[in-house]
Amino acid sequence: MTDLATPTPSAAPKVIPVGRTRVIGYITAGLGLFVLLAFGLGSSGNAHSVLTFTPVNTSTNAPWSIGALTVLTRYWNMAAGLIAIAIGVHMIVRRPAKGAMVRFGVAAILFLFALLLWAGRDPGPSQGLHVNLTSILIGSSALAMVLIYGALSGIMCERAGVVNIAIEGQFIGGAFFGSVIASTTNNFLLATLAGAVAGALLGLVLAFLSLRYLSDQIIVGVVLVTMMSSLSSYLNLQVLSPYPNLNTGNLASNIAIPLLYKIPIIGPVFFNQSGFFYFMIVLVSLISFGLFKTRWGLRVRAVGEHPKAAESVGINVIRTRYINVVLGVAIAGVGGVAFMASQGAFQVGYTSGLGYVALAALIFGRWRPSGAVSAGVLFGISAYLALNLQTYNIPISTEILGMFPYLITIAVVAGLVGRVRPPAADGQPYKRD
Amino acid sequence: MRIELRGITKRFGSFTANDRIDLVVEPGEIHCLLGENGAGKSTLMNVIFGQLQPEEGEIVIDGETIKFANSGEAVRRGIGMVHQHFMLVPVFSVAENVVLGFEPTKSFDRLDRKKAADEIRRVSKEYGLEVNPDAVIEELPVGLQQRVEILKALSQDAELLILDEPTAVLTPQEIEALMAIMRSLAKAGKSILFITHKLKEVRAVGDVITVIRQGRVVGSVPPTTSEAELATMMVGRDVKLTVTKEAAAPGDEVLEIRDLVVRDDRGLAVVNGVTLNVRAGEIMALAGVQGNGQTELVEALAGMRRIESGTITVRGRDVTNNKPREMLDEGLGHIPEDRQRNGLVLSMSVADNLVLNTPRRAPFARRGTRNLDAVEQNARQQVKDFDIRTTSTRELVSSLSGGNQQKVIVARELSRPLAFLVASQPTRGLDVGSIEYVHRQIVNQRNEGLGVLIVSSELDEVFALGDRIAVMHEGRITGVVDATTSRETIGLMMAGASSQSAHD
Repeated sequence: MTDLATPTPSAAPKVIPVGRTRVIGYITAGLGLFVLLAFGLGSSGNAHSVLTFTPVNTSTNAPWSIGALTVLTRYWNMAAGLIAIAIGVHMIVRRPAKGAMVRFGVAAILFLFALLLWAGRDPGPSQGLHVNLTSILIGSSALAMVLIYGALSGIMCERAGVVNIAIEGQFIGGAFFGSVIASTTNNFLLATLAGAVAGALLGLVLAFLSLRYLSDQIIVGVVLVTMMSSLSSYLNLQVLSPYPNLNTGNLASNIAIPLLYKIPIIGPVFFNQSGFFYFMIVLVSLISFGLFKTRWGLRVRAVGEHPKAAESVGINVIRTRYINVVLGVAIAGVGGVAFMASQGAFQVGYTSGLGYVALAALIFGRWRPSGAVSAGVLFGISAYLALNLQTYNIPISTEILGMFPYLITIAVVAGLVGRVRPPAADGQPYKRD
Repeated sequence: MRIELRGITKRFGSFTANDRIDLVVEPGEIHCLLGENGAGKSTLMNVIFGQLQPEEGEIVIDGETIKFANSGEAVRRGIGMVHQHFMLVPVFSVAENVVLGFEPTKSFDRLDRKKAADEIRRVSKEYGLEVNPDAVIEELPVGLQQRVEILKALSQDAELLILDEPTAVLTPQEIEALMAIMRSLAKAGKSILFITHKLKEVRAVGDVITVIRQGRVVGSVPPTTSEAELATMMVGRDVKLTVTKEAAAPGDEVLEIRDLVVRDDRGLAVVNGVTLNVRAGEIMALAGVQGNGQTELVEALAGMRRIESGTITVRGRDVTNNKPREMLDEGLGHIPEDRQRNGLVLSMSVADNLVLNTPRRAPFARRGTRNLDAVEQNARQQVKDFDIRTTSTRELVSSLSGGNQQKVIVARELSRPLAFLVASQPTRGLDVGSIEYVHRQIVNQRNEGLGVLIVSSELDEVFALGDRIAVMHEGRITGVVDATTSRETIGLMMAGASSQSAHD
């Protein structure tokens, strides 16, 4: 057949960048300047910090263990600050098209590292406390793991177009039932299943209200969190308190991966973890692969971006959303069990807002599993430090660090840090016409 | 494919959108379905495409009676649809969009992207529809997006192609190209059902024209039927298709726009250095394909969008970045593009909507309280003067027809002293009768010495009203020409050619 020689339609309007990269540049450089002035020049010239790399309670990497490292606080922190400033200035001047969030993340890690050196400096308020980097990473990894479970749950739901802000409530549900089952059976596989089922049921409620009755998904989410926190304190009072052996606080034991766990510094962090940690890694790869490489993923994303288009090629929008929400919230339930298995017996309110930090990680990670991992690590470290920095007797309130993930999220949502774009139909009720 | 509709009836509650429709499309035929907005064309298409199920009647394809539960089944049976609002996922690639729902896969449910791209290249080549399978939809111009929609249908082996108002978003040249595609598809044996309300198009491309009005088939006629006859069939009475107007007597400049730069919601400078002036007693028609910055230009004029740089002057006074209320005080009359969003408060009465821009002024308000008698009196007067069809002035404006809603806006804007009038797509979605009415009102205002700026993507309207015609493309004015310029030249300018090179 002949070519119709159609004139090439005019090109789409050129994108003129608004200079968001610049704004992130300024923020990054400001962070660096703060590090330079407060943590660098703020430490006296003769102060030093001691970094150690052996986990506190084990000698797991004894054969390959490396000794303590003593650094001059002032100069290391000045260097960290200068690097962050350089990254920021580069972004302001050069405005690279990609990687702004990654650069900002590097600067944030530098900030946290400098904060640690500063807190552990000697002479200083900590009186010579060593900074055990490996222990900090291990502690952070437990929180990061929970955050990643939560963010994955959000990805599953929101990629299909249903907003799940009730991750906190789903953590609570998972932790509660996980603890009861783990205490009675001492079997973490069963506990995980129980958490998944509890999550799936909560997911069904969310899906039913938002898909069947087209309720506002944000409101349903708020209601679910409130309900779960009240329900858990009621059950705690009525069931767990009178029968303490239902909630004995089993911790999942670590499974060391032969040889690998002996690698200095990172070995104990990555290869001597509970099954929940490894399962999380499997889930990240599975969901990442599923969403972006498979037919299932293409359809899910189509449903989340343009449900009418999906419907017009015969994809069942409502069913896709049901399945994704139920599976996704089941993942959050497992996250709750994982939290319980790393923290001990269920207590009322002990998830302390981690579900919302997971939501922040989801946004900062741009609705991608890989992004959720990076954000989970960054937020996990800062959440861990917020909880544990007081051991260094530093003169600032550690609650400020606890605000860190939310500050970043506000900046991200306001469009200050990078352009985030949720799935186009995220949170919008879908009705066939 | 031969498709036959027998007595299709589709009701929504008590409203009958399709009333016993009979229609036959033969293989290799371009069958035009002509009707006004709200005549039931889109409903009928959704019935054929399986998105709606009819209450009565049957669909017969090649002698076999068919019932579709959803559009996936219709697609599998060889029916393809090019929707008015494209059914494309903007962040997906061309290939992902084309294969969605019918994906080739490898082991583990993996998408076979290579196979998908090859398939697209094959179909592109077969029908001469070039498009890069890896391009992302949102980065493609509208004309190419539409081509992807057509490809999508063809790659599912569509034998009947339904095109729902496909020309609304295209330049005249792109419309030509689309028609060429339609003709060649018909020659290849495909059946085409082409839905439109534009008389010129059906006569240019159709083999058979079926006119529907208020959900019923009025008749089927050959494409040799005159435009006037078609319009009469479509509306149900004789209509004047052209506005009679005398030569303009332009006076002083009332509106001057200089080097205006305005950004859209995404931060792109979609108005990028526009300079334009309007004199008293003339109609300046701003032509251009939708989405070339006209919307943002008008919003800037109305004070609804921040101006990045440049100036707007009204009767010699600098009004750049005035607030909307200040613009009203300067004598701006504004008929907005989206009347339901920016022109009316749908949940308020006709009477309240008629004083929406002057609620705080005498006589409608006194010392901070509303004077409801004056509002009511005003409403009665306007309803009478502008022939607004409503059961009562207290009626919610949402219950009025589109044409009457537009009359409410026109009445409100034209019933006070103005310096100039900006009317954006003033007749979009209106029936021919209402179009005639709105056009006459605008011409009357111009005859009385008002400066008018009309923004329209309908060339018919641009030629019917404009004393001078400015063409906008990608945020710039490609030229200002007089109303005797040929359609073709304007078309080229709409695609970005300067008025000079368009003439050559």
